[in-house]
Amino acid sequence: MGKTTVSINLAHSFARAGVKTLLVDADPQGSVGLSLTRQSRLLAGFYDYLADPGISFDRLIVPTRLETFSLVASGQGSDYEAGGGGMGAHLARVRAFIRSVSARGFDLCIIDTAAGLFGVTGDVIASSDAILIPQQAEPLGIRSVPKLLEGLNRLRVMNPRLSVLGVCLTMVQHDLAESTEAAAALRQLLPPEMVFQTQIPRDGLFVRASARGLPIGVLEDGAGAQVVFDSLRREIEAKLEPNGGHHAARG
Amino acid sequence: MDPINPWLDPVEVRRLADRLMKPNAEPAAPLADAGFGEGFVGYAAAPPPLPPQKVQAPAVPTPPPVSPPPPPPENPTSARGPFLDRISRFRDWMRHNFSATGIFILDREGAVIFDESHHGRLHFLARSLALTSRRPGASAGNVHVKIGAGATLEVIPVETAYGSLVLGAVVPEALDPPAVLAVMEALAQVASPPPENA
Repeated sequence: MGKTTVSINLAHSFARAGVKTLLVDADPQGSVGLSLTRQSRLLAGFYDYLADPGISFDRLIVPTRLETFSLVASGQGSDYEAGGGGMGAHLARVRAFIRSVSARGFDLCIIDTAAGLFGVTGDVIASSDAILIPQQAEPLGIRSVPKLLEGLNRLRVMNPRLSVLGVCLTMVQHDLAESTEAAAALRQLLPPEMVFQTQIPRDGLFVRASARGLPIGVLEDGAGAQVVFDSLRREIEAKLEPNGGHHAARG
Repeated sequence: MDPINPWLDPVEVRRLADRLMKPNAEPAAPLADAGFGEGFVGYAAAPPPLPPQKVQAPAVPTPPPVSPPPPPPENPTSARGPFLDRISRFRDWMRHNFSATGIFILDREGAVIFDESHHGRLHFLARSLALTSRRPGASAGNVHVKIGAGATLEVIPVETAYGSLVLGAVVPEALDPPAVLAVMEALAQVASPPPENA
C-alpha cells in the first residue's frame, strides 16, 4: 500500500533535482496513469510494449511540464496480465525496455509494479538494479514481511546484481498506537540499514494531489510534504552512489 | 500487546534480511545478462505476444487429459534397461511427440545428469526458473520462456523416486497442460527404480 504515491512523488523529487527521470506504470491497475493523466488509459503503455514487438519504446514516452520528468503509462494491454503470468515469460522484453531507457539517456527509471513477486513484477525485479519496498505501517502488512524477504532472496538467484535499497514505511499514523507500534516493531525486526529513516505519513494532501492529477510538490500547500520525499530521495542517492546504479524497481 | 512478534520468527526474519542486504558474491552481470549474455541468440528476436492462458501452464492442478497427446510409437517406459538407455528412449519419445530438441535433465542439486543441449546457459536459466517458480508448501509447476522465433524453453520439475529432477527441453511452442502432465508421468516412470522381480 502507498507504493504509487511513493513512486509518483519520489520520481518528481528526483526530476526536480535535475535527474532525468522516467516513471513507468507497471501496475495493471494503472494507478500512476490514473493519478496523473485522465487520458492515460488511451495511451500505448508498458504492457502493450511487452505484448507487441511492433511498438517502439519512443512511442510510449509521455513528457510532462517538467523537462526532466517523463512517464510511461500502463497501457491498453494491461488487462492481458490481470490474471498473473508466468515468471520469465516477459523477461526478454522487460530487459529490452530497460536497455531502451538507458539508451534514451534517462538517468533513473522508477517502475511502479503490481504487488507480489511473480509474473511481470518478477521479471521487472529480475532485470533491475535496485528495489525499494514500500510497506504500510500496520500489523497485518508487516506480518507478510517474511514471505516478501523469502521471495526476494529467490529472485536474487535470477538477478544477483539486485540491490535492496530498503523498506520505506508508508501511511504512518502518528495518532494511532497500532500504526506507530507496527512501525517500531519493523524497525526492531530488520537490520537498521534496511529501513529508511524517512517514513511517509498518512496525509489528506496525497488524496488531494491524486484527485488533481499532480505530484504533491506541485500543490500550493504541498511544500511541506515534498520535504518528506526529498528526504527519501537523498537517502536513496546515498545508497545508489557507491554502486553507480541508475535503475530502480519497486515491488 | 505486541501486534507483530507473536506472528513472526524474528531470528528467521533477520537471517533473511541480512542475506538480502549482503552484496552478492557473484560478480555483477551486465544488464542484459543474468547468466545468458547478449550473445545468446535465443533472445535476439523479440517474443511475439502470447495469449494469457499460455503464459504459464500450471502443471499440478490440471485434471488428467481427456484426449491425451498422440501415443508414442514406443512407450519410453515399456522396456527397462540401464538408466541411460531409458533416458535415451525418453528423449526419442520427446522428439517424436513434441519436436523437442536440446533436452537436458538436472538433479535437485542442479547437476547435469543428461544433456544433449551442450548449452550451460540454458541449464542456468532452467535452474533459475525452476527455483523461482517454486512456492512454499506447493509442488513446483512447469514454466516456459520464449528464447527465440519458434523456440521455447520448457522447464518441467518432476518428483521422482530419486528426488526432484528438472527437465529442460526446447520446443517449437509451449506445451499445453495435458502434454506437460504426460511428460511428467513419463519421466517419473523412466526415473523409477526397477521392480523387485525385474
